[in-house]
Amino acid sequence: MSKQMDLLQGTLDMLILKATSLGPLHGYGILLRIGQISKDRLEIQQGSLYPALYRLEHQGWITSEWGESENKRRAKYYRLTAAGKRRLQAETEKWNRMTDVIAGILETRPEEV
Amino acid sequence: MRLLNRVRSWWRGIFQRSLVQNEMEAELQFHVEARAEELVQSGVPRAEALRRARLEFGGMEGAKEECLEARGASWLDNLMQDLRYGTRTMMRAPGFTTMAVLALALGIGANTAIFSVVNAVLLRPLPYDQPDKLVQLWHVPPQATFPGIAEFPVSPANFLDWRSQTQSFEGMSAYGRGSYTLTGNGEPETFRMIAVTDGMFSILHARPLLGRGFVSGEDEPGHEQEVVLSYGVWRRRFAGNPDIVGKNITLNARAFTVIGVMGPDFEFPISTDPSLQAQMWKPLAWSDQDRAVRDNHNYAVVARLKPGVAVKQAQNELDGISNRLAQEYPSENKGWGAIAVPLRDDLVGDVRPALLILLGAVVLVLLIACANVANLVLVKALTRRKEQAVRVALGATRRRLLQQALAETLLLALAGGALGLVFAHYGVILIVKFLAQRLPRSSEISLDGWVLAFTAGISLLAGFAAGLAPAFRAAKTDVNEALKQGLGRATSDSGGSRTRDLLVVSEVALSLMLLIGAGLLIRSLWMLHQVNPGFEAAQVVTMEVAVPIGKFTEPAQQIGYFNRVLDRIRTLPGVQAAGLIDSLPLSDNGSMQPIAVEGRPPVAMADMPEVDVRLISPGYLGAMHLPLLEGRGVDDSDVAGRPGAVLISESMAKLFWPNESAIGKRLTLYFFPDQPRVVVGIVGDVKLYAVNETQRKATLYFPVAQLTAPRGAAFQSFGMNLAVRTGAAPVNMASTVGLAIHEVDPGIPVQNVRTMDEMISESLSPQRFTMLLLGAFAGLALLLAVVGIYSVTSYSVSRRTNEMGIRVALGARRTDVLMLVIRHGMMLALIGSVIGIAGALLLSRVIRSQLFGVQPTDPATFVAAACGLMIVVLAASYIPARRAMRVDPMVALRYE
Repeated sequence: MSKQMDLLQGTLDMLILKATSLGPLHGYGILLRIGQISKDRLEIQQGSLYPALYRLEHQGWITSEWGESENKRRAKYYRLTAAGKRRLQAETEKWNRMTDVIAGILETRPEEV
Repeated sequence: MRLLNRVRSWWRGIFQRSLVQNEMEAELQFHVEARAEELVQSGVPRAEALRRARLEFGGMEGAKEECLEARGASWLDNLMQDLRYGTRTMMRAPGFTTMAVLALALGIGANTAIFSVVNAVLLRPLPYDQPDKLVQLWHVPPQATFPGIAEFPVSPANFLDWRSQTQSFEGMSAYGRGSYTLTGNGEPETFRMIAVTDGMFSILHARPLLGRGFVSGEDEPGHEQEVVLSYGVWRRRFAGNPDIVGKNITLNARAFTVIGVMGPDFEFPISTDPSLQAQMWKPLAWSDQDRAVRDNHNYAVVARLKPGVAVKQAQNELDGISNRLAQEYPSENKGWGAIAVPLRDDLVGDVRPALLILLGAVVLVLLIACANVANLVLVKALTRRKEQAVRVALGATRRRLLQQALAETLLLALAGGALGLVFAHYGVILIVKFLAQRLPRSSEISLDGWVLAFTAGISLLAGFAAGLAPAFRAAKTDVNEALKQGLGRATSDSGGSRTRDLLVVSEVALSLMLLIGAGLLIRSLWMLHQVNPGFEAAQVVTMEVAVPIGKFTEPAQQIGYFNRVLDRIRTLPGVQAAGLIDSLPLSDNGSMQPIAVEGRPPVAMADMPEVDVRLISPGYLGAMHLPLLEGRGVDDSDVAGRPGAVLISESMAKLFWPNESAIGKRLTLYFFPDQPRVVVGIVGDVKLYAVNETQRKATLYFPVAQLTAPRGAAFQSFGMNLAVRTGAAPVNMASTVGLAIHEVDPGIPVQNVRTMDEMISESLSPQRFTMLLLGAFAGLALLLAVVGIYSVTSYSVSRRTNEMGIRVALGARRTDVLMLVIRHGMMLALIGSVIGIAGALLLSRVIRSQLFGVQPTDPATFVAAACGLMIVVLAASYIPARRAMRVDPMVALRYE
C-alpha cells in the first residue's frame, strides 16, 4: 500500500482544472483521473470534490452538461472553459514559482545564509 | 460573461431550487453507484459494495449543503428561508399577525395618504416648462394704511414701468379676471375669462394645441377681439371641432375670433378650486388712459426669471425700481414696494404649514405603530426563547438570529404596507373630497410612482424600526439561562420587560403629544364657531347676479336693472328682506379705497387712509341683520342727485372720530370724487374676508344708487350679490328667486347660489379639515397606545399568576392584587405623560399658525388631554388586572 498524502489547502481546484483540461469528465471520472495521474499518492475526500466542482462552475472556469457514461447511464460531464484554461495556466505558473521559492528556501544550508 | 454565469447560477439557485437539488441528487447517486460498480467488479457483493461506497463518500447531506453554498447564493437562500419561516409563524398566530399588520397598515396608510397630498401639492413641479423660474409679482402696500396686508394687486402704469425697467426677467405679463357670456350657440353660458397682456403664453412656454397664442400688438385697443379656448370648453361647448380656429363666436354680445385652443393639461392661473379654473383667455387691451393709471391696483402679474437669475437678484432690482417710482410719483407710489414670490410659494404658501404639521403627525403615528409592533413581537418572542436557545446551542450565529428576527418584522411591515396602500387609497379620496375647493392642484393627488416608492421605503423603515429591539433581544439569548428554565414559562426576563416598558412609555408620550395638538385645534375651531361674524347667517341665501361687463354703459341703467330685480323679489312670498352688495362678507373679494376726511389737511393719494368700501342697496342691512348702531341705514331716498350718504362700521367710526359722533361727518372717496358724502349711520363690524381675521376692518358702505363712473375711467357694468332673508328654508327659496331674476332680464346669469351658513362653514373648512385629520391621527395614536398598554399588562399578569396566587394565599386582599397590576400600568402612563407634556410644550409652537383664540400652551387642553389619556390607560390595565384579581390561589399555585 503506497503512502497517501493529504491534499494541500487550495490545490484541489487546480487538480480539477488539470483533470478536465484533458477532456470532459464526470465527477467520479475526475476522481479516478486524479488518482491515475498521481499514481494514487493523493487522497481526495470524495465529499469535498462536489462543492469544489460547484464553486468552479459558479465562477465560470468549468461548465457542465448531462451526457451518457461509458456504461450507458446519465452522468454530468464537466468541461474546461476558455477562462478556465487561462486560469489553469496562471495557476500553474504561480505554483511553479512558489515551489521554486519554497524549495530554494528549504534547501538552503546554514553556511549559505 | 462570468457575471452572466453567476447571475444564471443564482437564478437557478433561487427559482429552480428543486431542479438544482434533483440534479445534485442524481449526480451524487451516480458517483456512489459508479464506485460500487467498481467494487462489484473486484468481487465485493453488491449490497456490501453500495454500503462501502457510501461510507467512502462521507457525509452526503453536508456535501449537498456545501454545494448549494458554493453557488454563492446562500445569503439569498437564507433570506428566502427566513421569509418562508416568518410566513409560517405568522400564519400560525393569526391574532398576533392581524394586530401587528393592522397597526402598521394604519400607520403606513396615514403616511401614504398625507404624503400623496404633500407630493401633489408641495413637491410635484408645477405644470409648466422650468416652473421654478416663474414668479408672481405683487405690490407691497404701505403698512400704515394697509395694516397686515403683505401683497396687493398691481396698477397698470407701475406694471408697465416694471416691465420696461427690469433686466432680471425674460418676460412679464399682467392679467385680470372677468366673466363673459357666450350666446348664439345653444344656451347662453357664462365663462371665466382671463385677460392677459401679450406675453403670457410665451412666459409660460405654453404652446396651444390648435392655432396660436397672442402675439405682440394684440393687446392694443381695437385688436383685442380674439380669444383662446381651454381644452375643456372646446370639447364640451364646441364638440372638439378641429376647424374652430378662425371662427367667430359671440361673447358679451360682441364678436370674438377664436385664434387657438390650449391642451388638456394647460391651466393658468392655477386655481385652488378646480371649479373656478380659467376657461378662456383674451388680450388685456389697455387704452392710453388705462395705461396711465397708477393709483388703481387691480392686476396680478406673472414673470419668468432669465436663466441664471435668482429670485433674490430680481427682488433687489424691483426694490430699486420701486424706490425710484416712489420718488417720481410720490402722490401715488409713496410707500409702495414690490415683491417677487416663486409661483409655487404663491400658490401653496397658505396650506404648507398645515400639510407639514399633518405629515409630522402621521410620522408620530407610525412611530407609535412601530413601538406597538415591537412590543407584540417581544412578547411573542418570549414564548420562543427556548427555540432560540436551541438554535444558538446548535451553532446558529448571532447574525443569523438577528437577520431572522428582522425578516419577520419586515414581512409584517410589507404586509402592513400593502394593506396601508388600500387605506391610503380611500384616505386620499376622502381628503380630495373635503379639500377640493381649498387645496391647489387637489385634482392631481394620486398614488403615483413616487408615492408607491415612498410607501415601500417607509414600510421597510418601519419593519427595521419595529424589528430592531426584538432582534437584539433575540441575538442576546443566553443559552444556559433559557435552557435551564426547561419547557415551562419564563419567570424572569427583567431585561425584556424593561424594553417593553420603555416602548409603552414612548407610545404614551407620542400619543399624548398628538392628543394635545388635536385638542388645541379642536379648541381653536370651537372658538372660531363662537366668533360673531357681525351678521346673522341663518335663513339667508345669497346668489351672484352676474351682470356681464359691457351689458350697461351708464350707471343709471345698472341701477335701474337692480331696482327692478329687488322690487320683483320683494313681492315673492316668503321673502322677509332682500338687498345687494358687491362683495359678500367671507368671500375673497373686496375693494380697499383711499378716502379724504373733510376738515383734515389734504394729503397725497399714497398717504390717504384706506378703508374697505362696499356698495350696498337698501334692504341689505335687513337681509343680513347687520346691526345699526347709530343714525339710519341707506333707503330709497339715497339716489343719484341727492346728497351722498354712507354708512361706516363701528371700527371705522372709532378710528376716524374716536371722541365724537361720526354722524354728519363728511368725506370723499378717492375713486368716486364726484361729491363729498355724509356719514348717516354706523353699523356693526363684520368679518369681511375670513372668520379668523383678528383685525377689525374699517368698512364704508355706500348706496349703489349713487354709483358713478370711477375716477379716470369709463363706467363698466358689474355683477352684484343678492342676499335674501327668508322665512322658509333658504335653499328652497333659491330657485324661486333665481327664476324671478331671470324674468327681469333673461340675458343675465344667476350663479354661485349659497346660504350664508355655507359661506361660514366653507370659510372654516381648512381649519376643520386640519382638525379632523389631526384628531383622527390622535385617536389612532391613542388606540395603538392602549393596545400597547393592554398587551403589556396582560402579559405581565399572565406571567405573575403564580405570584398572585401566593399573595392571595398569604392573605392579600383582592383589591391589593388589583392595585398591584394597575399601579404598574399607571406608572408607565404617568412617566409617558410627563415626557409627552414636555414634548408638546416644545412642539406646540409649531402649530401656532393654525390656532385661533388659544395659546399653544393652553393649560386646559394639556390637562384635559393628559387626564383623558390616563382614564383610557386605566381602563386598558383594569381589564387584565381584574383577571389577576380573580386568580384562584389553588389553581395558580399548581400552575407551574
